[in-house]
Amino acid sequence: MRLVPRPRVNRLGLSLFALYCVGYAIFVLAAAFGTFEGGAAKGGLAGEAVAGLSWGVVGGFGLIIGAFVLAVLYALLARDAEGEK
Amino acid sequence: MIYETSTLAVAVFAAFVGAVLALSFWLGARARSAGGYFAAHGQVGWFVNGIAFAGDYLSAASFLGICGMIAFFGYDGFLYSIGYLAGWIVALFVIAEPIKRLGKYTLADALDARFQSRGLKCVAAIATLVISLFYLIPQMVGAGALVKPLLGLPHWAGVAMVGVAVTAIVATAGMVSTTWVQFIKGTLLVIVCAFVVALLLDRGFALPTKPIPAGAVQTIQTTPSGVLVNGAPLAEDNELDTRLRAEHGVGFGSVAALPGGGVATGPLGPISYLETFAGSTVTTWRKSVDASTGTTTFTPVERQGADLLLPGANPTFKGVRDDRLAAKLDFLSLMLALFLGTASLPHILIRYYTVKDAAAARKSTVVGIGAIGAFYVLTLYLGIGAMTSGALDPTDSNMSAPLLARTFGDGLFAVISAVAFTTVLGTVSGLILAGAGAVAHDLMKDVLRMKLDDRGQVRAAKIASVALGLGAVVLGILFEKMNVTFLVGWAFNIAASANLPSLVMLLFWKRTTKQGIIAAMTVGLVGSLGWILGSADTLEKVFGMTAADAASSAIVPFSQPAIVTVPLGFLTLVVVSLLTERAGGATSQSPQANTAQA
Repeated sequence: MRLVPRPRVNRLGLSLFALYCVGYAIFVLAAAFGTFEGGAAKGGLAGEAVAGLSWGVVGGFGLIIGAFVLAVLYALLARDAEGEK
Repeated sequence: MIYETSTLAVAVFAAFVGAVLALSFWLGARARSAGGYFAAHGQVGWFVNGIAFAGDYLSAASFLGICGMIAFFGYDGFLYSIGYLAGWIVALFVIAEPIKRLGKYTLADALDARFQSRGLKCVAAIATLVISLFYLIPQMVGAGALVKPLLGLPHWAGVAMVGVAVTAIVATAGMVSTTWVQFIKGTLLVIVCAFVVALLLDRGFALPTKPIPAGAVQTIQTTPSGVLVNGAPLAEDNELDTRLRAEHGVGFGSVAALPGGGVATGPLGPISYLETFAGSTVTTWRKSVDASTGTTTFTPVERQGADLLLPGANPTFKGVRDDRLAAKLDFLSLMLALFLGTASLPHILIRYYTVKDAAAARKSTVVGIGAIGAFYVLTLYLGIGAMTSGALDPTDSNMSAPLLARTFGDGLFAVISAVAFTTVLGTVSGLILAGAGAVAHDLMKDVLRMKLDDRGQVRAAKIASVALGLGAVVLGILFEKMNVTFLVGWAFNIAASANLPSLVMLLFWKRTTKQGIIAAMTVGLVGSLGWILGSADTLEKVFGMTAADAASSAIVPFSQPAIVTVPLGFLTLVVVSLLTERAGGATSQSPQANTAQA
């Protein structure tokens, strides 16, 4: 019985997982170490990203929407890869 | 606070819950075998299962807890939304397809698929029960919070109502009815919340009729002769927000100044709503308690919207504003637990057994991520709306979203409260089903080797579900005052610590042994539980110590254990597996070996 998906699909999934992990880690580390100094906001998530919104808001929405985008991408590519078999 | 009940609200609520229960009983006739009861015969369509994932996952913690935390503390609540959603990436890319291939009815089935070990099944079943119980507490607390304003009933009555309703759902048809309850609830929750957000954007922001000065403190005091509000007995015409409304035209939570100096914005778009909030000054309320006199004082504090859109206002996240590394560990640990916990929750994992194959498991996860992600985007708007609509109950953050809906009329309040109650029903059904499966299928049949045929297993699971329902009711009453999202954070820590190392290593490390898994699960479960029980948060919020006493009495340096106990679980598994492999212990098979076999 095969546990993990076919090697190509498995590699694809783990690659996308690694990509998301990097984004999540950057966000969490920026919140923890890059946003405040001496209790006052200095940058990081407090900085303005776009349209008057902070990186905290944009990054948060980005992680939520990005997860869905990666999930759809994975589903499509996995379907194609399994279809080739 | 005293809440007025409305006939419309009660009627809508009764109709919603009645319809859900009727559906459940009707579907009950379809599931007589163990396969039907525990896994809906594996015949649920991937789209329905995906939305049911949302219904299962978007619990009281997500709806009531996150909105309440944002309404009280700003961005910190949204961090939970981000972490909860991110966890689905682990589920999709790492866990979903293997768990479908490995398991049958329960998480223990999957972990034990290669070993057939009673010890492993026992530990996995106990972990499932503990995690499910920890996850049940906030759901029941949320139910109790809901019935107070909706039906005018005390907290315990709401908890008991959920206990009875859910036990009826699970005891009648198991996974079949649970799936459809979760599907309906997931659909309704996203649609109704989107509707409320659309109304919020259309309303925009407005200032109170008269500014709230810094000295406008409000007090509530519990005395032997009764409750006093601002020095006078609590009554329908003297509630905590009565004086505020009379003098300023608004209750708790309002905008003190808008960017550009206007008094109202009118309709706003989704981006301009957040931009306007960031540029506004908001009146928040600081709570202080004088235990010697039984007095709780709420003091208005003006804060900049931009600051409320940054982390660190909530006690759990305050460390991010501290320069010391040690102070930040709670935050880092919780974000790790949220990321890793989702894919380790037994009641979520068993939903993978309800679809026919691994491809359907993958597709249903994608649908689930879409629905759940859409909801979590909405939580930021709902929380900010609750914070600025003058409708907060400063004594209960969990009521923020329903009270926000009430600002648009009793009808919407009734609908959203009913949806929230259905939310609790859906999640609690899944949790009790996971726990019942662990008791009947894992412990009774496989560990104790009781002779149970198909129907016997189902009967045992139904009896177990009644017992779990009763236990959940008791816990829901005991934990009344705690924010439900905070409580769910504990469940994520325990799930990530107990289950994730074993799940991942079983799939990706061929030298994993059953002894390694048993040891890792035991260490993760006991370690995370012990850490939580010995933490300052528990001493303060569960055992009632003052913050200073709790900090000095805590036996662990921070409250969220995952950052320690998850790596400890991995380390334990590796060390014990290496030791027992040399001693001739059975190992799992490598992915490569699996591929070759296929």
